[in-house]
Amino acid sequence: MKIDPKTFVKDYNLLVCIQCGTCTGGCPVKFRSPLNMRRLVRQTHFASDPSLFKKPEWWACTTCSTCSLRCPAGVKNVELILGVRNYLANQGEVPSTIREALENTLLHGNPWGRFRDRRIDWAKDLDIKILGEETAEILFFVGCAPSYDPRVQNISISLVKIFSMAGLDFGILGKKESCCGNEIRRMGEQALFRKLLRDNTNLIKKIGVKRIITISPHCYNAFKNEYPELTIPVYHYTQVLVDLIETGKIEMRNGSETPVTYQDPCFLGKQNGVFEEPRKILSSLPGVTFTEMERSRERSLCCEGGGGRMWTEGFTEGIRNAEIRVREANRLGAKVLATSCPFCLLTLEDAVKTSGLSDQIVVKDIAELVADSL
Amino acid sequence: MNIIVCVKRVPKTAEADLFIEKDGKDIKKDHLVFALNDWDSYAVREAVLIKERYGGEVMAITVGPEDSKEVLTRCLAMGADRALRIEEPPCFDALLIAKILARVIQGQPFDLILTGVQTEDDGWGQVGVSLAQLLGIPHASIVNRIEIENGKARVKRELEGGLEELLEVRLPALFTIQTGINEPKYVSLAAILEAEEKEMKEVGLEELGWTSMESLYATLDQVSFPPAGKMAEILKGSPEEIVNQLTEIIKKKKG
Amino acid sequence: MTEIFVLVEHRQGKIREVTYELLGWGERWIGQQEGRLTALLLGYGVKELAEELSMRAPRVLVVEDERLKDFNSIYYQRVLSSLLSRYQPLLLLMGHTAYGMELAPSLSVELDLPLATDCIDLSFEGRQLKALRSIYGGKINAHVTLKESKTYMITLRPGIFPPKMPEEKKGTIVIEPSPIQETTERKRFLEYIEAPLTGEDISQAEILVSVGQGIGGPEHLPMFEELAKSLGGMISCSRPVVDRNWLPKERQVGISGKTVKPKIYIAVGISGAFQHVTAIKGSDTIIAINKDPRAPIFGVADYGIVDDFQNVIPLLKEKVKGMK
Repeated sequence: MKIDPKTFVKDYNLLVCIQCGTCTGGCPVKFRSPLNMRRLVRQTHFASDPSLFKKPEWWACTTCSTCSLRCPAGVKNVELILGVRNYLANQGEVPSTIREALENTLLHGNPWGRFRDRRIDWAKDLDIKILGEETAEILFFVGCAPSYDPRVQNISISLVKIFSMAGLDFGILGKKESCCGNEIRRMGEQALFRKLLRDNTNLIKKIGVKRIITISPHCYNAFKNEYPELTIPVYHYTQVLVDLIETGKIEMRNGSETPVTYQDPCFLGKQNGVFEEPRKILSSLPGVTFTEMERSRERSLCCEGGGGRMWTEGFTEGIRNAEIRVREANRLGAKVLATSCPFCLLTLEDAVKTSGLSDQIVVKDIAELVADSL
Repeated sequence: MNIIVCVKRVPKTAEADLFIEKDGKDIKKDHLVFALNDWDSYAVREAVLIKERYGGEVMAITVGPEDSKEVLTRCLAMGADRALRIEEPPCFDALLIAKILARVIQGQPFDLILTGVQTEDDGWGQVGVSLAQLLGIPHASIVNRIEIENGKARVKRELEGGLEELLEVRLPALFTIQTGINEPKYVSLAAILEAEEKEMKEVGLEELGWTSMESLYATLDQVSFPPAGKMAEILKGSPEEIVNQLTEIIKKKKG
Repeated sequence: MTEIFVLVEHRQGKIREVTYELLGWGERWIGQQEGRLTALLLGYGVKELAEELSMRAPRVLVVEDERLKDFNSIYYQRVLSSLLSRYQPLLLLMGHTAYGMELAPSLSVELDLPLATDCIDLSFEGRQLKALRSIYGGKINAHVTLKESKTYMITLRPGIFPPKMPEEKKGTIVIEPSPIQETTERKRFLEYIEAPLTGEDISQAEILVSVGQGIGGPEHLPMFEELAKSLGGMISCSRPVVDRNWLPKERQVGISGKTVKPKIYIAVGISGAFQHVTAIKGSDTIIAINKDPRAPIFGVADYGIVDDFQNVIPLLKEKVKGMK
């Protein structure tokens, strides 16, 4: 399928754009890169010269979708970015680190190129059902970062502990699990995304579960919004934990006086409207005093971990948003900056180190906080 | 400029746990992922870059089992114009592969043959240069730059210690390509799917007139795990404990 | 009488170390048997090199020709083909090096002699040659038998056999006439190109923090640079890192890069391919961090950490701050 940039105006309905600049106003990387969404939409109107699409700033977008969500005319700016990236990817013109992430996903089923056989190393000391060999009501879709990243694995382990205590009937796909494709689509590899979509849908249908729980808001977004044939309900784990707490299936007993604040992951909050559940959980943790950062919920500042940015290098300069965020949380007096996304966790934790705030604030995933309090 | 690139499909073993088959003749491969040999990938890219500069056609050839077609498809997606799979003999060594390739290539018009320096699996580093000798053409190995002018190629070979040498080689010639010679380009799945439609020829050994197998020059008796030998003292404990031990070691050894 | 030929490798007026390793192996193998070890020196104006060699080889056979001044496999092949046909030694040993790899396969095809490349050990069962090769990046050994032949050809992996040391007793030097008749235009040596040095010279570093492909991506480099700085050392890398343009060539440790001898060599995410390992053997202390417990690097390291570097390096970096 050939992509022709000349049809972008029609494909993404760009003629409705009124050039108000709301998109650029809300863009989290507008100060960190030359990316100017309003201008790019305008230039696309006259894009007879394909060199427009070879500008590096197309890779700076984190696909947080603030622009699209705020656009008064309903322009799908992020889809335009994905269209351009798809055009570039089909020509092989992607940054080298993205190239490796995409090649790795085709070969190994995860962007880091870790071996499939190692996908369940994190669970080797745990007693978990492997779906396909055994049956269960719930598919716990672990995802790539929670399977392989040593820091993020702790979220997976924490959730297994919580789910087991609550008596949920769940299992994982084990070595057969592959990338959900959310980031792959956002790095421009639509064909690879479609392959993952097809393989995962078939696999999930075959094992016959009733629901899916994901760790990453990115997997949640993909299954919920971009897998048309997957009709069973999909939950982000925070939605499940609220339910377990409210129905008394888990009891949080331990905790000390801790001021906590929360980073809304873009793919959970803005894009999918899950704002309340994480806050409810945090507020019910023993000893926790919960404070909001100034920019929260729909206005939350993107950590820059999305849209393939976990695999890009450069394209932005100046202070990283994650650092701005960590400093903001620190000024607020928070001792814990909580989040509910593997990418937020990694970018924020890195920012704590680079800001030299390691002795003042820690980054924790909500799953870890809950598991610690049991 | 007609270019032939010889490639191989190999298992990726960098991170994998390896096991040995019961008969001791090979490693177990059913849990491994296969891909185009890394060196060959650079060779195909280089062939396509040369084609873009000087015109002509690129043909990719492999000697391998049915599954090898997937790496040929990748070569086509990378810009090769034609692809040919030659049936793999039941047992072979590097020289036999070179002889089979020579038999097929002898009938083809070509100016340049590229291969990878070696393969990731058994790494003989022997097929390319042997093939050149069989075809009676000059060669250069471990090449990391090619420039072509007036029927001659100026090539840089990588020597040891950061040193390189510049050679002039008359075409037709064969070069074995070193990694890093070019910037790899992403091969999209869309391009691979499109390449699946392109023509791929297959030829059996009998069709080539290969009736009885010659005796091999090198026969693999068995494979084994290397003896453990000296092993590093592995630091144990939590990351904090490990780093404490490590810091002490560094302090001591730093003097 | 058993005769072993060793091809002398020399470049820019210097004999390369691999030559002495081949002679060392040859001498040990011949041992008490009735046999002779001969070093083949092909070159031009190489009298001094022949003298040098005679201290480490019982016999040096010299072929001088202007066209052998710099290595060109076509001329080397011409000479070796003539010598092998005449003397029919049991074994011709070469290094598995840029020269050996350029020459051995074509020579073996021309003379129809069995060849095993990149061997890490050899043995004879009668007249049958058995070779040991290291494959799959050093994770597996392959035991290979070569077809019975009057003469065998072997390229031996450099850096694994102890070199032959010089002796008081000098070997004989025999001059052979050059069999080269025609000058060829098919392949011509033009010049050597030294890699330009723009930054620090890693071969001078006392401490090296060396990174491999296992660090995942260039985004982690600043962390390693900071660690190296805190320790008063430099950052270096393995070949795949240079191929990916994460670091410039001058940072590469390995046979095709630099040989290093620091007090402390910290290898992170480096599996330990022989091309790399050979070039770090002179280090006083080697520390390896790798998540694969079977990575060959642990076979040469003094201390090992089997873990993801991200669990270790950030902590270490904090811990050694200001240690310099």
